[in-house]
Amino acid sequence: MSDTPHELQESRILRTELLWAFGVGIFVAASLSMIVFTALTIKINPPSNVERIDPKTLHLSGEFAEQNLGTTVFGDGTVIVRAIATQFMFVPQCIAVPANRRVTLRFASPDVLHGLLITGTNVNTMVVPGFVAQVHTEFTRTGDLLMPCHEFCGQGHSEMWATVQVLPADQFKPGPDGRVSCAQR
Amino acid sequence: MRNADRLCLAHFWVAFGAFLFACVLGAWQMWVRSPLGAKIGTPGEYFMSVTAHGVSMAYVLTTFFIMGFGYFVAVTALNRPLPGLIWAWAAFWMGILGVVLALISIGSGQASVLFTFYPPLTANVWFYVGLVLVVAASWVWCVLMLVAMREWKVDNPGRPVPLAMFATVANAVMWLWTTIGVAAELVFQVIPASLGLVQTIDVGMSRTLFSWTLHAIVYFWLIPAYIAFYTMAPRAAGGRLYSDTMGRLTFIMFLIYSLPVGMHHLLMDPEHGNGTKFIQVLLTAFVAAPTLLTIFTITASMEIAGRLRGGRGVFGWIAALPWERPMVLAIGLAFVMLGFGGFGGIVNMAYGMNAMVHNTSWVTAHFHLIFGGSVVIMYFAIAYEIWPRLTGHDHPSLAPLRIQLWLWFIGMMVMTLPWHWLGLQGQWRRVANFNYADPIIAAWGPWVVVSLVGGLVLLVSAILFVRNLVVLHRSSVQAIARPLYALAVHPPKRVPAALNGFGLWNVLVLVLMILAYGFPIAQFVIEPSPAAIVHRVR
Amino acid sequence: MQSDQSSGADSKLEVADEVDEAALASVMRTVPLGAAVLAGTTVALLVLGYLLIYTLVFIPRGTIG
Repeated sequence: MSDTPHELQESRILRTELLWAFGVGIFVAASLSMIVFTALTIKINPPSNVERIDPKTLHLSGEFAEQNLGTTVFGDGTVIVRAIATQFMFVPQCIAVPANRRVTLRFASPDVLHGLLITGTNVNTMVVPGFVAQVHTEFTRTGDLLMPCHEFCGQGHSEMWATVQVLPADQFKPGPDGRVSCAQR
Repeated sequence: MRNADRLCLAHFWVAFGAFLFACVLGAWQMWVRSPLGAKIGTPGEYFMSVTAHGVSMAYVLTTFFIMGFGYFVAVTALNRPLPGLIWAWAAFWMGILGVVLALISIGSGQASVLFTFYPPLTANVWFYVGLVLVVAASWVWCVLMLVAMREWKVDNPGRPVPLAMFATVANAVMWLWTTIGVAAELVFQVIPASLGLVQTIDVGMSRTLFSWTLHAIVYFWLIPAYIAFYTMAPRAAGGRLYSDTMGRLTFIMFLIYSLPVGMHHLLMDPEHGNGTKFIQVLLTAFVAAPTLLTIFTITASMEIAGRLRGGRGVFGWIAALPWERPMVLAIGLAFVMLGFGGFGGIVNMAYGMNAMVHNTSWVTAHFHLIFGGSVVIMYFAIAYEIWPRLTGHDHPSLAPLRIQLWLWFIGMMVMTLPWHWLGLQGQWRRVANFNYADPIIAAWGPWVVVSLVGGLVLLVSAILFVRNLVVLHRSSVQAIARPLYALAVHPPKRVPAALNGFGLWNVLVLVLMILAYGFPIAQFVIEPSPAAIVHRVR
Repeated sequence: MQSDQSSGADSKLEVADEVDEAALASVMRTVPLGAAVLAGTTVALLVLGYLLIYTLVFIPRGTIG
């Protein structure tokens, strides 16, 4: 439209929008790059080990049978925690873990949906009946932490939590069977 | 407008009635879980309340408001009577029946599964049937919006569909796509379980199907607020819309990018791997685009208005805006809350960083601020703006409207900002009462009380809102007909077909959904997850 | 009016405004400077906040995977 003043022309307006889009696009790309970078270098990912397990039979035998629950240190030094999330408690209710060492936590539910976090850490996962929830982390500070169930699982949800004791190396002593229990306080 | 006046008002009154009810419940819930109310309320009562609060706010307030506003736009923006009025009323009553069924089920204590359902927890079947009826009513609305636009286009070949209606229909198309997920979950999984036809349920599948709906639904709620940003706020401020084209592009982007991102609600779930999670995080970054573009376009539109009123310098136009007008005040407050709420959102979606906040009070803070804050404050502003047209009366004074909007803003900020902090401390969600004897939890107590004060301010604001509408109905001041919609700086004579309809975009939605959800859903069809036992709530 | 097409609504009554075209052209010489500064600053602050929370709060809490 030749009689439109330059300032009102659609093309000028769209050019400013394009400039803006370009500018914020750089910001968005920078934020995404940081996500990709940390995922590739220091392995920061949401817990995504996809592993199926039958909720109806998991308590009977195998990894999540009652005698295998809790913290176990294997011969090669790996630390694995196994716990069950069920209405309305975690089994075991206290978990001992070492500080500054890679720990793998594995959870399963024999009944409904649960979830958990450990306060002050990045440990966070849903526990979906049908799947093993696995989280790798390193606890950076010692102390007693709360591990509540953070997903609505029924009337008793508010009372469902466990304690996590992050122990310094000199207090994290496995027994002869590799098991570590919470310190009596 | 006459033929649809009562239809719109009926929808709005149901929406705002449910809203007020839910605000009372919300305040009670906050009291009960604070140190002040630690001895009141059983878990049974609490979770019944949370379910009712969530259903009322997320399904009733929203769906009925959006339907009513859509009918209003279809009549006023297209300047013609609403087609299918009898169908619209039938849908309304079907929706009412659905709401009644759902609320009775919740009240009976047999439906405390929250508004997100959480199978294998299973409620009384009438709860689900009620919600299906509400969704079905909204589908009728979608069809009527499409019909209205089609009939206008037939009578106006080659002309651009007015932006307010284009956006409304974009929302309707998006809603049809959105509801597929939850409808499939309810029809094929949850309702059969509730009826006792099956004893187990595939939770991997149900969570995936629900996530399909769960993100796009918030854009269904949000688009009416954006319609007000693009077509009503520039008018109220006395200016022009900076770019009509950007408006169309924004609503198209919401249509295509709102859907294939639901899995960012499942980032902590063990039934999906890194690949699909990362793809959906990438697509989530795309859905940030229309909001980022909107911030610029609408700020520029406000700048036009401010400079026309004499504002000078880089920021002088801000003070020059007519802040005494409720719509202008609302958009200013909405944008502030959008900034804070948006920040919470970009943290939530940041892949690994989601682990820092998932299922903590940070999440509760985020959606109360962005939806309860930015979006609902615009619902108030829209109601204040169009009620005079619907009733023939005008507000006797604008001061109570402004006070109500300010109270909503202040209450929302005071309620939600402490929740962000508490979430980082590890405070988790859906708790009927906290054990304040525990030292970690005791430290949260003061902030919970601050948050409660915010919630009480919100309740006062909600009551004032309804009072303002009642006063309007009884007002003796005659409504003067005044224009509601904005003109663009460059009103288009023609727009490309792609910016005037949705054929192309539906294809793109399909492609993106196959990319994002194809494998995640197909994997459970081919090999269902180990099934969980259905758990009836009592 | 620039054209006889309305953008927000299909009715001259619904979109009638008192904006003078000359005044509009005059303010459009400055717009969108104010918007770019305000919106740009806000987005920059959001991105900064995001980087800070990522590096100073999230990463120190330990790895996740």
